[in-house]
This record gives sequence, C-alpha cells and structure tokens, in this order.
Amino acid sequence: MFLNSVVLILQEILEAALLISILLVLSRQLQLSARWFATGMILGGIGAFILSVNLATISEWLDYAGQEILIAGIMIAVLGLLTLIGLYSTSALWASRHSLPYLMSICVALALSREGAEIVIYLGGILNHQESVQPTFTGAGIGAGIGLSAGVLLYFGLLSLPARWIFCTCILLLALIGGTMASQATLLLTQVDWITYSPVLWDSSIWLPEDSIPGHLLYALIGYEATPSLFQAIAYGIGFLLVSISATLGYLNHFRSRRKNTGEK
Amino acid sequence: MSRSVGRFVILLAFTLGIGSNTSFADTPIVELRIRNHLFFPDTLEVPAHTKIKLMVINEDPTPEEFESYELNREKVILGHRKTIIFIGPLPPGEYPFFGEFYPKTAQGKIVVTAQQPSE
Repeated sequence: MFLNSVVLILQEILEAALLISILLVLSRQLQLSARWFATGMILGGIGAFILSVNLATISEWLDYAGQEILIAGIMIAVLGLLTLIGLYSTSALWASRHSLPYLMSICVALALSREGAEIVIYLGGILNHQESVQPTFTGAGIGAGIGLSAGVLLYFGLLSLPARWIFCTCILLLALIGGTMASQATLLLTQVDWITYSPVLWDSSIWLPEDSIPGHLLYALIGYEATPSLFQAIAYGIGFLLVSISATLGYLNHFRSRRKNTGEK
Repeated sequence: MSRSVGRFVILLAFTLGIGSNTSFADTPIVELRIRNHLFFPDTLEVPAHTKIKLMVINEDPTPEEFESYELNREKVILGHRKTIIFIGPLPPGEYPFFGEFYPKTAQGKIVVTAQQPSE
C-alpha cells in the first residue's frame, strides 16, 4: 500500500503543482500580488471536498456519464481560463491585467478540485482498512512532498532562465497544459461514447511507457500519452493553439498600442 | 482568435453529433465485478473491432479506480456503486487493466479475439 500511495498521490499533486508554479512565475513577472494563490488553494480544497462527497451521485447522471462530463467540463473551463490568461498577461491594458489574479485563482481552484477529489476518495476508502492506514498516509505524505518539490524546482528553474525567456517559456508551458486539457477532455468524452471512437495515432509504449517515471513526468508536464487517438491529437493541437495564439494576439495588441502612444507624443 | 474558437466549437459539435448518432442498443454489454479488491472475471473475452459497453459493479464498500494504460481508460467507481465504460473497437490482442487503489490484487485483462465468441 505504501508505494502505491506514493505513486498515486504524486501523480495527482504533480499536475497541479506544475500548473501552480508556472502561474506563480507569470504572476511574479507581471508584478501581481500573489494573494490569488491562497484564494485558489482554499477554493480548490473546498471544491475537492464537495466533489468527492457528491461524486457517487454525479457518476450516475446521464446514464453513468456524469463523472466524465463534469471532469471534461472542468478541463475545458481550465483551457478557457488559460486562453484568457495568455491574452491578458501579454496585453498592455491595466484593466485586463487587473482581472488576471481572479482568472489564476479560479484556474488553480478548478485544477485542485479535480485532482484533490481523487485523493480524498482514495484516502477516505483506506480508512476502512485499519492496517493500511499508517503506510498509506505515510506514502501519501511522501508522494505529496515529491510532487511539491517538483513544483518548487520548476518555479526556481523558470526564474533562473535569462529574463527575456521566462515569460515566453511560461506561455509555452501553459499552452502545453491547454493542449493536455483538451486532449484529456476528448479522452473522457470518448470513454462515455459522447465522442466517437477514432483510431490510435501511434504506440510509443515500448520506448516510453506511461507508467514509467519519465512517462508520469511527461504526462504531468506536456500530457504525454503512449497511445493517443486521432481526435485526442487534434484536440491537443487546438488547445495548444488557443493559448499560444491568444498570447500572441495580446502581445501584438500591446505592441500596437505602445507604438500609437509614442506616435501621439 | 475568434475563428479558432469557432472552429473548436464546430469540431466539438460535429464530434458530439456523431457520438449521439451511434445506437446504444447494438453495443454488447460485458459485466465486470469488483469483490474483495479482485476482478470477477479476471479475464474478459470480447470480439475484435466491436465497441463494448463495460458495466463495472463495485461490490466492495471501498472505492476503486478502473485503470488501463493499454485501453486508455481511467474511472473512479465508489463503494457499492456501478458504472459504464465504453471500450473499443479494438484490434485483436491482450489489454491488461487494474484497480489503481488496490493494484496488488485487482488485476485483470481483456482478450480481444479475431472471431466472434461462440454463444
């Protein structure tokens, strides 16, 4: 139970920790107050608890498709938020920058609700097995520790980049997470037959299995799948482009307005 | 950006449209039970190139997560609840699955065979 608990909790924490680190670096670069982070964490905790308590009922909605529809909905909402974050963080308007902390905290809250609910359900179930409680919770603590360390490592890793690269790297990583959200939502909707089957595009499970350590890391960071379907790959591309194009549009807008301002003077 | 949003919505609507057109009636249902953190049966034989409706019934009081890297499936099933997971159509082969919460005992596989199983 110990090792399984380490891996399971690590997997859940890692995804959220990486997203939070990137948003924290972005927020620091834009000189925003990091108060959104605390709000997001608290809301995420509450969300995870509510979701875990109600998941049994939600799962039975829509002919047992409720769980997937809700989680896919959360993922698409996160993609939407990342798109807006991309647009607003590059744009020059003070008003759009002002809304960034709200967008970031909702984004973190949604991501944490989804990942946290599974942890709560897993650990809650273990409480029925007295003999497994101690090793499982110890493992969970270690898993969470490794996941958070990876987040801290990414945070300082990003900040140690040459200053002009930090911002672009953050946007690129957010676009990759956006792609992952779209791809995973597609997978969930396929699982309940709301999206039709599409052929598997490639199989890299021999070279890089999903259940290996690099596989888990790449899954958390760029949404790596050993056997993605065609629709998943298309969705990934769309998610990636949504975030990266919106950030580029924001930048172009910024550039244009700055040129106009200097021209008027 | 509005154009790419539009495209995404159209694609989503299009794919959802196809999804809802597929009839549920002719999808074979296969039953899988979870008892004492074990799968019953632990080997399921299904025909190749056929979409299958997998009905997973959790008889344990504890939650379990059906997971398979080979099938690209992952779903939490709470204690004393059941759920449906669609799989396939798949080419012939073996597709292992496991219970992510109790992976030491909860192990099983889906064997996809080229010919229709005799019934």
